[in-house]
Amino acid sequence: MAFLSIPNVAIRGIAACVPPKIQENRDIPFYTREEAEKVIATTGVERRHVVSDGITASDLCLKACEKLIDELGWEAESIDLICNVTQTSDYINHPNVFVLHEKLGLKQNCMALDLFHGCPGWVMGMSTVASLMSHGTLRRGIMLDGDCITRTCYAYDRESVPLFGDCGTATAFEYTEEAASMLFHTGTISADGMALAREIGGHRNPFTVETFIKDQDKLSGKAEPTADDHLMDGMSVFSFGITVPPKSIKQLCEHYGKNMEEVDKVILHQGNLFMVNKIAKKLKVAKDKVPSCLGEYGNTTSTSIPLTIVSQCRKEYEEEALKTIACGYGTGLSWGTVYLETSHIKCPEVIIY
Amino acid sequence: MDIKEFVENFAEQFEETDQSFFTADTRFHELGEWSSLIALSIIAMADEEYNVTLKGDDMRAAVTIEDLFNTVKSKA
Repeated sequence: MAFLSIPNVAIRGIAACVPPKIQENRDIPFYTREEAEKVIATTGVERRHVVSDGITASDLCLKACEKLIDELGWEAESIDLICNVTQTSDYINHPNVFVLHEKLGLKQNCMALDLFHGCPGWVMGMSTVASLMSHGTLRRGIMLDGDCITRTCYAYDRESVPLFGDCGTATAFEYTEEAASMLFHTGTISADGMALAREIGGHRNPFTVETFIKDQDKLSGKAEPTADDHLMDGMSVFSFGITVPPKSIKQLCEHYGKNMEEVDKVILHQGNLFMVNKIAKKLKVAKDKVPSCLGEYGNTTSTSIPLTIVSQCRKEYEEEALKTIACGYGTGLSWGTVYLETSHIKCPEVIIY
Repeated sequence: MDIKEFVENFAEQFEETDQSFFTADTRFHELGEWSSLIALSIIAMADEEYNVTLKGDDMRAAVTIEDLFNTVKSKA
């Protein structure tokens, strides 16, 4: 069973940065007014921040990180570990973590690793960072998690365009023997994973001149998507989303003897509002414990959990000691659930790039 | 499992199409009101009422409501 209990690592802060450009779902040209209202009611997404040309996930992460380490008063010299999580790298063969390591001016004697992951990425990244730091030799670590996923959405894809937004986040960790253990449950149903896979353009199915031009035309809106694009299978992802995350959260609570009643916040990956509400209902948890940032930001893939914390409850995280359960789910198809305790962390307002 | 009850549960996910219009033979993909959002409601209904997980392929393969009923029945 993929349960993990990781002692001696505390979260010190979380920051998030979004691009300035806003797309209103009421302005999407291929919806009638009535269709747009229905989509908004179901997904909960009114508008989304999306990158313009020249801004990437690493830029957003960098801004978030600079602000966070400034608020924490951490010197670059004191950081022993940097981990980046993204599925939208700046370069084909150079992981973003090295771009960020350089721009942040981190020392040579700093461990750097990159995780290629989707929506469960923040939780999966945390399980990796916390595991490495719990040994006690890496005292301070930062995890940069971000995507510019809208760069991959076809302009006329009716399922993804109204849903996705872009964001970069930074989460700071420190070794301390006073920290409550972080508890994880993770899992994988890889047989269903192609429901969220983009199949053309990688090394298995490299672009040809013809498929490359088609892809560019679909991205720019010169052409509409076709049946053989195998875009997101929203129905299968939805089924997965309403069944597996609530089970995982219950399993974690049972395994470690945690009671949902004593948890202050349940932060779910913001797949869409319909899905978030279904999961909350299954967990029988009060709605005010399950914040959402879908209205202003949409589904921002792996950043949706930290962005929800920062945009919806930053004051509480700054001023109180809180018990949180977070669950990321999607890509894989896979999921990661974490129980964590925080106390008076740094949580600056959402930064506009 | 009862087909009559399944048709009623199916019909309840629609707002504009008259409830009396739905029968076991209804070819639901052809309905004017059918949309990907209603498909999600049907999937949620199957999960809540029958504890069955329907995937995208199950929804696409079913032509009539009875086809979907049979899929749900076989998974229940």
